[in-house]
Amino acid sequence: MATAQHDHSHSHHIIPMPVLIGNLVLLGFLMGATIWAAQSLPAMLHSSGLPDAQISLIMNIVALTIAFLKAGFVIAIFMGVKYTTKLVKLYAIGGFVWFCLMFIMFADYATRPMEPVHGWEPEIPSALPRNTSEIPD
Amino acid sequence: MSDHTHHHDDEHDPVYFQYEQIDQQQETYVLGMWSFLVTEVLFFGALFMLYIIYRWKFQDDFYLVHEQLNWKLGGLNTAVLLFSSFMVAAAVHYAQKKRKTQQLICLGITLLCAFMFMMVKTKEYGDKWSHHLIPNKAFSYGEHHGGGGELGGQGEHAAVLPNGGKITLASGATNMGGEGASHDEFQYHPGNGTIAPQPREKPAFLKFLDGVFAPLDMPEKEQHGSPEHARLFLSLYFLMTGLHGVHVLVGIIVISALMILTIKKAPTITDYIPTEMVGLYWHFVDLVWIFLYPLFYLIPK
Repeated sequence: MATAQHDHSHSHHIIPMPVLIGNLVLLGFLMGATIWAAQSLPAMLHSSGLPDAQISLIMNIVALTIAFLKAGFVIAIFMGVKYTTKLVKLYAIGGFVWFCLMFIMFADYATRPMEPVHGWEPEIPSALPRNTSEIPD
Repeated sequence: MSDHTHHHDDEHDPVYFQYEQIDQQQETYVLGMWSFLVTEVLFFGALFMLYIIYRWKFQDDFYLVHEQLNWKLGGLNTAVLLFSSFMVAAAVHYAQKKRKTQQLICLGITLLCAFMFMMVKTKEYGDKWSHHLIPNKAFSYGEHHGGGGELGGQGEHAAVLPNGGKITLASGATNMGGEGASHDEFQYHPGNGTIAPQPREKPAFLKFLDGVFAPLDMPEKEQHGSPEHARLFLSLYFLMTGLHGVHVLVGIIVISALMILTIKKAPTITDYIPTEMVGLYWHFVDLVWIFLYPLFYLIPK
């Protein structure tokens, strides 16, 4: 244990201040972009004659792409994942992979359009419309 | 225990006995923190799943209800959190360089940002309180209230009836009691029978915040869409932003504790690692908000 070699060049990485400032500017720009997109992009897309459903889809993709970009820059630079060891990177990425695995629960919503049995209470004021008939429509 | 630690050189941080070298020791800390953050990702992730399901199911109503939220205040909070994230990264930067004064200044600014965030959130929650939008017993949503701006504007004089109806006076006849007003110019719009609640009085300690954030106030919007779905949206809003707010409060506590321990030169603070841990936590709080902002405040039509 005491014979550990200390490698100075491999010691903790100090993220340079210009990189941090640059990242802040970039994040501010992306924040502006997401607000601008939400305010003005639908009207622009509408005037180009796209159907509303597609505009809504595009807007959702744009908003979430910007959000993931922002999150990526925060994780990579501010949280220093770009500069850490591979094991830490694995953990950091693993959490989000695990989160994506949770999307599997949508399969339940897609494949079960009806509830086969009545609930305990005869009429629950639910936000989700309940279909308790034997045959799914 | 001092006999369990050894110094590689005078300037460097101590390596504890179970580690081979300082890098390994520090990697362990960061890894432990990330393990915690992964559980947090899944914790919030489950709520985002819930949100996605209902947003998918009730797209139109979620758009209509989201107009009740003030995107300017949400945007201010986004900017505040991004800046505070930068500040805490700068604090880690100075902690690594062992420049304690700059480190404490950066942490102090982060703390101020956290308080600023909570003030904006208090203002927003206060507005929801007075507009009956908190999904409790006093919750009330519908087209019969809101839209105060619409009644006051357009050169119209109007009175809202307790049953949700309103009486308006056309713009030509502005002197109510005078000879100019004829009966024909009064219009009666019957309500839908439900009692329109008056805005609730805010607690006194919230009122000064109204003045502070007055430039960002938006006129109260008319309430459209199904009240049930509005209640669902607002429940999700309060659940997720509330849980995020609790994290901000915890952040305030840990940043304060770190500052006090650093100032008092506590023996637990031997290197930059505690600052790095607090920093990672605070960045995570920022990360959650990065997703909450577009999902709640900027829903596309």
